[in-house]
Amino acid sequence: MEKLSWYFVIASILWTVMATVLYLGYALSGLRATRMRTAGMETTTPAVGFMTGPRTAGIGSYATIVGWLAVVTLSFALVFRAIATGHGPFQNMYEFSLAFALGVLVSYMYFERKYHQRVLALIAMPVALVMMLYAWTIPSTIEPLVPALQNNLLLTVHVAVAIVAYGSFAIAFGAALLYLVQPDGGRWGLPKPQVLDEIGYRAVVVGYPFLTLTIILGAVWANTAWGTYWSWDPKETASLVTWLIYGAYLHARVVRGWRGQRAALLLVLGFAAVLFTYFGNLFFGGLHSYSGLT
Amino acid sequence: MAHEVRTPPLQPAAVAAGQAAAGRSAVDWIDVALEALWHALTSMRVAMVLMIALAVLCVAGSLVLQVPTGMGDDPSTRSQWLDSVRPRFGGWTAVLVYAPNVLTLAIGIGLLCLAIVRFLDDGEFVGLGLAGLAIGAIGGIALATDGIGLFNAFNSLLFRVLVAALTISLIACSVHRIPGAWRTATKPRVDVGPGFFEHAPQRETIVAHAPAPEALERLSSVLRKRHYRTLVQDDGTVHLYADRYRFMAFASLAGHISLVLILLGAIIGTSWGYKNQYFVVPEGSTVLTGTAAGLSLKLIDFTDSYNTTNGAPSDYTSQVVLLKDGQQVAAQTIRVNEPLTYDGSTYYQRAFGPAVVLTVKDAAGATVYSEGMPLDGSSTDGSDRRAGTLTLPGTGDTINVFATNGTSDSTIQPGQVQAVLYSSGASAASDAKVLDQGKPQPLGRYTVTFDREAKYTVLSISRDPGQYLVWLGALLLFVGFTLVFLLPQRRVWARISSRGAMTVLSMASLGRRDAALGTDFEDLVTDIRAALQSPAEA
Ligand code: HEM
Repeated sequence: MEKLSWYFVIASILWTVMATVLYLGYALSGLRATRMRTAGMETTTPAVGFMTGPRTAGIGSYATIVGWLAVVTLSFALVFRAIATGHGPFQNMYEFSLAFALGVLVSYMYFERKYHQRVLALIAMPVALVMMLYAWTIPSTIEPLVPALQNNLLLTVHVAVAIVAYGSFAIAFGAALLYLVQPDGGRWGLPKPQVLDEIGYRAVVVGYPFLTLTIILGAVWANTAWGTYWSWDPKETASLVTWLIYGAYLHARVVRGWRGQRAALLLVLGFAAVLFTYFGNLFFGGLHSYSGLT
Repeated sequence: MAHEVRTPPLQPAAVAAGQAAAGRSAVDWIDVALEALWHALTSMRVAMVLMIALAVLCVAGSLVLQVPTGMGDDPSTRSQWLDSVRPRFGGWTAVLVYAPNVLTLAIGIGLLCLAIVRFLDDGEFVGLGLAGLAIGAIGGIALATDGIGLFNAFNSLLFRVLVAALTISLIACSVHRIPGAWRTATKPRVDVGPGFFEHAPQRETIVAHAPAPEALERLSSVLRKRHYRTLVQDDGTVHLYADRYRFMAFASLAGHISLVLILLGAIIGTSWGYKNQYFVVPEGSTVLTGTAAGLSLKLIDFTDSYNTTNGAPSDYTSQVVLLKDGQQVAAQTIRVNEPLTYDGSTYYQRAFGPAVVLTVKDAAGATVYSEGMPLDGSSTDGSDRRAGTLTLPGTGDTINVFATNGTSDSTIQPGQVQAVLYSSGASAASDAKVLDQGKPQPLGRYTVTFDREAKYTVLSISRDPGQYLVWLGALLLFVGFTLVFLLPQRRVWARISSRGAMTVLSMASLGRRDAALGTDFEDLVTDIRAALQSPAEA
């Protein structure tokens, strides 16, 4: 099972590389189309809803199919791994990184279905890819669980909820980056700024409750294992910081002056906090010292 | 909602401040100051700044080594601890201690300067001035009293002030929003005036051939089909208001208030709770728990098991019984994720170590002590032996017990322990013996037997009456905000007027939060258009 899981990881890496290339081709074809449009050629824009962009639909749909294949193979990789270990992907950084990558891939596919903005993949796919490659470089040996981690159900849910949050925040980050790189009014055939602004918001709206739940479940676990629901452990603190930053972002949306640029900057800051939370246990140790890297 | 409830900015007062500063009475000034305070507390910008400031402080606190709990509160232990880390941090020690407070003071002074410039400029200065004074004062007080700064980030004055300010702001905001939310849910404005339809973030005008009453009927039926509530008012022009999920503003309020509940729970927990992180019980011994009179805990057996593959611990179990005045009231095997709860106190598995069972008899042959004692310390002579201290009841004499650390110990072999007797108050040992298991030996005026080796467990005991509030708050927090995001409140206004044979229908909505509500509005308008032009009509 462990071996099988590993083959599926390799397959996922290959599919993700391929999807990245296809999405890139798709984006570049769009760039050409935009240039043609500025030169005065006709393009079609739907009357209602978002502009889907005058791109070569063929490459785009292949990219989507390959993206889904990556989701499927990575899901299998995690399922086989879970069968081999007997628990969810929370024992070490290897398992958790794969789960993170799956979170990003699934969130991306979900947002693609909803908003048809394939250009976002240019950020989302590489993020997922980096997580998988990172997993490749670190030890993946299956060790028996130390006593504190023997709380299977709670921890599995805790991690599952966390990766949904992290995946959504990765999408919000992608939207914010694309928002920030283009000048006012949009350029390079990228999605319109207000569409990116909205995707960023939508992604946070999905991620925020899940992050809240992650923190609450973490507190419940800490309370059953150690008798304190909060101990300012670095990982706890980092997740609180992340939560505060996205909280500030949500308020920024309510205050109109904070739309757009500054809101996008908060999203980038928020994702930096996510990565800090995620890799935090490598730097700090603390109670979450399950990284398996020492 | 924010459209109706947002406080008007202080412009009028500010202009007046410039014009009539001279003619103001003290009461007026207090009025202006209070208004500025309320304005700041209910301001979303201030809330955001507080959140980000708190986030920054937390990041700093998680990056810098923190003083162990308890040591940071007392000035002498605090400076002792600081001296112990100074070699590690060098010149940065002072920076880490003073930077946050100096920065706060500087921000306060900066704001004050800005307020002075504004004052000379006849601008709004009261709010800025107050903020500057408050922030500067906090920075100054922290600088004068704190002395450990980022090394104690989560107990620092700055941290407490930020949390308190955010809490007060949360309460103020919630109180501030309740009347508006209530009005919106129960008595919304149906007639919003024609100007609204020209400036609303989302607006649409439809011209229909149907007469006004028929147009209204069709409009209402589309809205009803989409589960909107509709309210109509007719004063020659027909005004319509429709909303969905009108109580969601209260879910948002619940989400905000829940944070106050969580903080309240945390405060109750630290003020009235009980926590003992280091409750040691050797096997076979019974120790008073300290949580309730007459309640004691007996450790029957401790087992630590290891994985054969890598030697990592796989399980720690303490089989215990709780005794109330000698009567058993609870029994359980405590594991890391399976604490024992009795009468509001919970007992958690925390650590363990070696213990020895000793029997001590006095000169008359009476047993003074016969129980397990934990070897939970280590010797100070550098030999790294396991050590424990036993104070004999009655006399105050103490016996220090040492066990070998396992490696080439020349005096104590494995299977032996060394006992060293100190007479009450004496600093020099009066006798010392190496004991073999099961062989009584004289030690000063006592006879000591090393009965057997054993284990001790370390439990942590906690009673946290605030935790129920914390869990309630957590539930409310999650449910509140999830509902708000899942079922966002939607509101539309319409105005129907006849123009000859035509009917003009203007529609508007406050899609301020996100464009998705905008798309929703567009969908709605498309439906309404379709309904108004349906073939039955023609
Ligand atoms: C740590 C503190 C806080 C957190 C985590 C928080 C969280 C949130 C969240 C998640 C939302 C989005 C829900 C929605 O759109 O209704 C929100 C909205 C809002 N918050 Fe906060 N908040 C905090 C503090 C504050 C404070 C101090 C204020 C007062 C200035 C405030 C005022 C508001 C308002 C007015 C809304 C918009 C409500 C609406 O859309 O109708 N919040 N908050």
